[in-house]
Amino acid sequence: MVSDSIANASAANSAPNARDFAKKKRANRSAKLKQCKLDARREQWLSQVKNKGSGEDSRGESRQRSGGGHQSLENLETRRRRDDENGSVHQDSDSESPSVSPIGLTGVLSGNHSSGNCTGSSSSCSSGSSTGCFSGSTTEEEEGGDDGCLDDWEAVADALAADEEPQNPPFDPPPEGETVGGVQSRGEHGKQSVVPDNSRSECVKRPPRTASANNQAWRPDDAFRPQSLPNLSKQYSFPNTNRHYGGGAIPWGCSKAISVPSSCPICFEDLDKTDSSFLPCLCGFRLCLFCHKRILEEDGRCPGCRKPYEHECSEAEPSLLEGSLTFRLTRSHSMITRA
Amino acid sequence: MAAVNSYAETPQERYQGNTPAAAPPSKQPLPAAKSVDTQSVLKRLQSELMSLMMSGDPGISAFPEEDNIFCWKGTITGSKDTVFEGTEYKLSLSFPNDYPFKPPKVKFETACFHPNVDIYGNICLDILQDKWSSAYDVRTILLSIQSLLGEPNTSSPLNTQAAQLWSNQEEYRKMVEKLYKPPTA
Repeated sequence: MVSDSIANASAANSAPNARDFAKKKRANRSAKLKQCKLDARREQWLSQVKNKGSGEDSRGESRQRSGGGHQSLENLETRRRRDDENGSVHQDSDSESPSVSPIGLTGVLSGNHSSGNCTGSSSSCSSGSSTGCFSGSTTEEEEGGDDGCLDDWEAVADALAADEEPQNPPFDPPPEGETVGGVQSRGEHGKQSVVPDNSRSECVKRPPRTASANNQAWRPDDAFRPQSLPNLSKQYSFPNTNRHYGGGAIPWGCSKAISVPSSCPICFEDLDKTDSSFLPCLCGFRLCLFCHKRILEEDGRCPGCRKPYEHECSEAEPSLLEGSLTFRLTRSHSMITRA
Repeated sequence: MAAVNSYAETPQERYQGNTPAAAPPSKQPLPAAKSVDTQSVLKRLQSELMSLMMSGDPGISAFPEEDNIFCWKGTITGSKDTVFEGTEYKLSLSFPNDYPFKPPKVKFETACFHPNVDIYGNICLDILQDKWSSAYDVRTILLSIQSLLGEPNTSSPLNTQAAQLWSNQEEYRKMVEKLYKPPTA
């Protein structure tokens, strides 16, 4: 394959002494990668069948996927670039595959890192990154189409990244800034010639992050799922409940059990779930949404402390509020880079 | 509760009949929500009655009038170590249709010689006016009035004679005893 030869060449170019090491690695990883590829292909196929005309996503993906003999080089190249730019791809000419690239970035991240600190970034690296790319995009697409497969991915992601979830979205911007220099230098280089150099420099840069990325093979896909536009509302609920604030959900439940009355002190109707999680005033006085609305229509003061209700704290529990905020940030970030 | 339920249908008329002055303003703005309101007010009042009877607070009690759950009769007794010790006062509470978002009208039925109660039994108490909160209920109202008896606000009196006499507790006690007419019922 072309990619192989290139990668080998790059390995030879960039780090001759790491070549043996890379080879060993390759042998080790080939089985794993094969498995990954198979999985990814399956997912691709499924998603393709399910939503044929799903707009940008599939277009971008198919464009990438169509890589046969002659295109694989370009694919590899684009992947590398994504690799290099680490998320800032969208600013480049690559904007035709917008939805894929953010995920590609993360997929690449994990792919690359999982192959160890391969200075040569041999073919195993590139194929790993490609797997990352594809699986990322397919996961994304599938969420729009069907829950059946998605659940699997979620389960995997949950299991893998249960403890490190909250850190992921904030990690997004820094790499971008970090590699801005790489992006700029990239623009000057020709398409083909860049590969070895950049891959080397990237590998030098990345090891610090390797550890965290290594055991999160699929997690970035989840974190970046907001990228697929059609599923806004659905995704919206994910970070709030299980993902970023998987830990936060527990205190929420606890507080509910401890301090929430079972019925509204104003109308004596039972508080439902929404009411129970509704904390309109800092004084902690709880009431049902109906009574709250009624009060807002009249004097608008909290019955518990007689202070006027403040609208900003009348929305939700603090933890939930934070969750949605963070989530929104992530989203807008991706939107901006896409544009 | 049979009587209570029968009043669910026509609380408006009953209410209006009892306190004609207060009824129109609370009635007219929300004609469509009337029945819903009535239902929720009923529920609230029934719950209040239940909790009041269960709480067993000493010195206060209240119960709906025979034929109208929107009108209650309450009694409070003067607290110990006040000039009102040993006296008992009857009050009437009439609840608007937007209770508890609006306070009930509370009046002394028994004459009460107090700086913040006028000769008609009207009470000047902030929580029954601008300091009302829908979190208050009959129990807290009665407890507030009970404590008001021993701690009047003499700076804005309805009964100036009582306010002037308040500083002389012995004379005041005599006056209370002289004017006190135990409630008949």
